[in-house]
Amino acid sequence: MSNVAKRQTSTLDKVLRVALYATLLSVAFIYLAPFLVMLLTSLKDVEEIRTGTLLSLPGSLNLDAWSKAWSSACTGGQCEGIGPYFMNSFQIVLPAVAISTLLGALNGYVISHWKFKGSDLFFAALLVGCFIPFQVILLPMARTLGWLGIANTTTGLVFVHVVYGVAFTTLFFRNFYQSIPGELVKAARLDGAGFFTIFWRIILPVSTPIIVVTVIWQFTQIWNDFLFGVAFSGFDTQPVTVALNNLVNTSFGGKQYNVDMAAAIIAALPTLVVYVLAGKYFVRGLTAGSVKG
Amino acid sequence: MASLTIDNVKKRYGQTEILKGINISIAAGEFLILVGPSGCGKSTLMNSIAGLEDVSEGRILIGDKDVTFASPKDRDIAMVFQSYALYPNMTVAENISFGLEMRKVPKEEREAEVQRVADMLQIGHLLKRKPAQLSGGQRQRVAMGRALARRPKMYLFDEPLSNLDAKLRVEMRTEIKKLHQKLGTTIVYVTHDQIEAMTLADRIAVMKDGEVQQLGTPQEIYDNPANLFVAGFMGSPAMNFVPAKVVEQNGSYALELQAAAPTVVPFPKAEKLAAYVGKSILLGLRPEMITEPQPHKEGAEFVTTANVEVEVTEPMGADTMVITRIQDAEVNCRCNPAYPAAPGKVIELMFDTSKAVAFDEATGQRIDL
Repeated sequence: MSNVAKRQTSTLDKVLRVALYATLLSVAFIYLAPFLVMLLTSLKDVEEIRTGTLLSLPGSLNLDAWSKAWSSACTGGQCEGIGPYFMNSFQIVLPAVAISTLLGALNGYVISHWKFKGSDLFFAALLVGCFIPFQVILLPMARTLGWLGIANTTTGLVFVHVVYGVAFTTLFFRNFYQSIPGELVKAARLDGAGFFTIFWRIILPVSTPIIVVTVIWQFTQIWNDFLFGVAFSGFDTQPVTVALNNLVNTSFGGKQYNVDMAAAIIAALPTLVVYVLAGKYFVRGLTAGSVKG
Repeated sequence: MASLTIDNVKKRYGQTEILKGINISIAAGEFLILVGPSGCGKSTLMNSIAGLEDVSEGRILIGDKDVTFASPKDRDIAMVFQSYALYPNMTVAENISFGLEMRKVPKEEREAEVQRVADMLQIGHLLKRKPAQLSGGQRQRVAMGRALARRPKMYLFDEPLSNLDAKLRVEMRTEIKKLHQKLGTTIVYVTHDQIEAMTLADRIAVMKDGEVQQLGTPQEIYDNPANLFVAGFMGSPAMNFVPAKVVEQNGSYALELQAAAPTVVPFPKAEKLAAYVGKSILLGLRPEMITEPQPHKEGAEFVTTANVEVEVTEPMGADTMVITRIQDAEVNCRCNPAYPAAPGKVIELMFDTSKAVAFDEATGQRIDL
């Protein structure tokens, strides 16, 4: 403590320090302002929105817009709010995340530790998958889903997201598994463990950081997806992003900005929660594979 | 316990031949060391014995059983890796019993076996820890424990001591030797450390460029190296290679060295030099055979004294290494620290050629075998 007190700080240092914080705070404000506006707007009633400014505080805490957005706002012809679609999204996201993560882990394990003739080519081909824009595969995928008989179903959407996600999840796991010494797998083989036993007993238990990264990544990607949702979902399997779009575009009389904002926040909430809960692993895990090797 | 036969094993990656026809066979209970510089194929050979890599040609037999195409788990061998390769998510006890579990050994037996191994290696107090909580030496012990638990036919050690610090390495070396004496199992051990090879082995296979240069007991390899490479690789400091001219003397042959003055030294198997009269060869002489003049050796059959100029001295405590030069070749001599050798000074040294060897300058092969 005494050393800190003794440290010489010139006036210039202080000015620079204040300027630094001012810059940081203003940038943070600019970044957070839209969310603040959304939150404030969702708590006002329509009358307040029309008379007040964007940043004026709501007169009273009014949660009507939230309950309306959840259970009674009209999305197209239906007037059940976005609640049901919110559940649809979970039905799509949970299996899609689980399956794509597991497949990515298996692929990464094979590419890193059970190299076969052409495994590098296989990996390169998978990597190309990361760079294919969504729009390009819309039509072929629609044909494929129809041919498989899962068009307009939740299963179909899960399938699309798994196929599209495996390229990324494989990349993540492969990079992570590169840093696991090959001797570990050799030792297990000599101990008599087979392909899957090594995967379950040795490899997966040390994969927590990269599993967290992959789950956050896939959850965010799939939850936020709009294009596949709007193209491949049926009437009652639409994800929440599509429902939000419909809600905002459906209006009877005046625009209900408060309901729109509440719905938008509800739709964004799960990814926020996932990130807050597991975010610290995200950065750690993303860099884990890249440092070594 | 089982014997091991490696019969003309070749290994190719595309066009490159990593192993060029290896033939080694050892009896049950022998301690074989594969030694050689990096890239000589010793680890590839080890992996081939383990079954972690396929061989392109040839056969590998453990006992009487041909295991060339058997999978690693069916060869009944255990391996200790350089990085130890302990399973990071399992405790020490689980690490040791994993192999038994995979072989469906009942739980009580596994626990008894873990206890037996832990007692043998004195790691009983570590059984509940994870590998990350262990020191290097402790991990090394656990890795050995994991190999011991299955009581396999053969143990493979892949540079197991190279990650330890110098002091611990010497301790563990002794420990491995004791373990081998106690268990009497067949061991194949890879190292690039020639001291490890000398101290541990019953037999050493010196490898270079995918070929076995020489297979023999440590003493054979030390005293009778087959070629320049083996002679230079085994022994520290390395054997001196002194250029010498073959001369005819009293109806026999001897070697002439260009020390401070030309000196003729006798050679044990002089008759083998006949073809080289008038030509230059390389005389191989271990540093301990060049010393300060020792009275008790005076006048012995293969002892000559000569004057040389000292370039550098390296005191090592027990001895002082005196480095001199004979005809462009640096020559290491092991002298008594009390002997007054100082850089720049010309001193008298005693050359004992009773164990000297001779090499062809062009091919590097021994010419007096």
